[in-house]
Amino acid sequence: MNHFTIKSKYELKKLMKLAISTGETLLKNGAEAYRVEDTMERICNSRDNIFNVNSFVTQTGIFLTFEYENESYVDFKRVRNVTINLKRISEVNKFSRKFVCTNLSLDDGLKIMENINNMKVYSKMHKAISGAASAAFFTLMFGGNFRDFLSSFIVSYIVILILNVTNEFKLTFFIDNFLGAFLASIFAAISVEIGLGANLDKIIIGSIMYLVPGVAITNAIRDTMSGDSLSGLSKGMEAIFSALAIAFGVGVVLSVYMGGIF
Amino acid sequence: MEIGFTLLYQLILGFFATVAFAVYFYAPFDSIFASGVAGGLSWVLYYLVLNGFDNKIIGTFLGAFLVGVLGEYLAIKMKKPATVFITPGIVSLVPGAGMYYTMLYLVQKDYSQAVIAGSETFFVAAAIAIGIIVSTIFSRSLRHFKRKSG
Repeated sequence: MNHFTIKSKYELKKLMKLAISTGETLLKNGAEAYRVEDTMERICNSRDNIFNVNSFVTQTGIFLTFEYENESYVDFKRVRNVTINLKRISEVNKFSRKFVCTNLSLDDGLKIMENINNMKVYSKMHKAISGAASAAFFTLMFGGNFRDFLSSFIVSYIVILILNVTNEFKLTFFIDNFLGAFLASIFAAISVEIGLGANLDKIIIGSIMYLVPGVAITNAIRDTMSGDSLSGLSKGMEAIFSALAIAFGVGVVLSVYMGGIF
Repeated sequence: MEIGFTLLYQLILGFFATVAFAVYFYAPFDSIFASGVAGGLSWVLYYLVLNGFDNKIIGTFLGAFLVGVLGEYLAIKMKKPATVFITPGIVSLVPGAGMYYTMLYLVQKDYSQAVIAGSETFFVAAAIAIGIIVSTIFSRSLRHFKRKSG
């Protein structure tokens, strides 16, 4: 076993900061609650004179407490705007393993975390193209033809570009999802009207796939089943409301379009 | 022969959809191909069960289970957390179509069909989660068993 210790209160504060920022990065980029708790506890427990490490993570915040020289320290962090970034989760995972096993200094650790947080993986253009491609392939998987494939690609590409712009205004996830589904349905209807697309339903289904909170629902159920019921509930609520927003967005357009007003 | 072509076609579709999603979720570059294969295989399994036995929920469960097992295996092989492979892999199983049809029936005021589609959507979502959990438990106990015997 290793024998790294914390020597002063100054170092202690850095350890706290490092653990919290690791947890925040994980949670913000879509990791499960148990992974966040586990990583933070491992980082604190890797120093021998830190005792009684406890962490508590929900979808919206992180709590961490530990004991040093018979005094307990607490810190917490509010987390907003969870998106999915697998590269960052993978990097933090690598970093925490390295931190626990080697004599990496706290300053180096903080620097690595900062690098991970500022890391650029793919550009917005890549994201738009890949989102559009996934939508187009889903259209094919659900039984669309080649014309649907094309129109689904174009529709999703435009929608993701618009969503990139509206993301700057920091609207809530509800409005974002509503807008995405609404625009996707409108453009899909237009593409059918001008004769590019053939099956309206296949195009819409493909184009809402990247909005559908499938991962959030799965993670919510996983969290709940593994005992993190509060995290599961908050994640589940968010997932249900995202699904509702998407359904509203599609529903508004469908009811107008099917009602023959369009 | 024709079935073979259909399955190959579906495998390719599933592969590209998963790869595109992996990029969309900012997956690490070296993991993208592997998660594409996992996603493609699980989509083919889902497609087989759906067309052979006409059971969406069992198909989704088996597909998610396959993604989970492959994800855990790849996690050890490539030294990355399993989430990196599982997250893009399950997206093709997510009931986006079910959600759409639920809304469509509601808009058309066909409430009994909407309830059927809606509850199926919910059960499919639950099947994904259960498939992932079972696969995690399965691979953990397998690892435990291997360590004990080896």
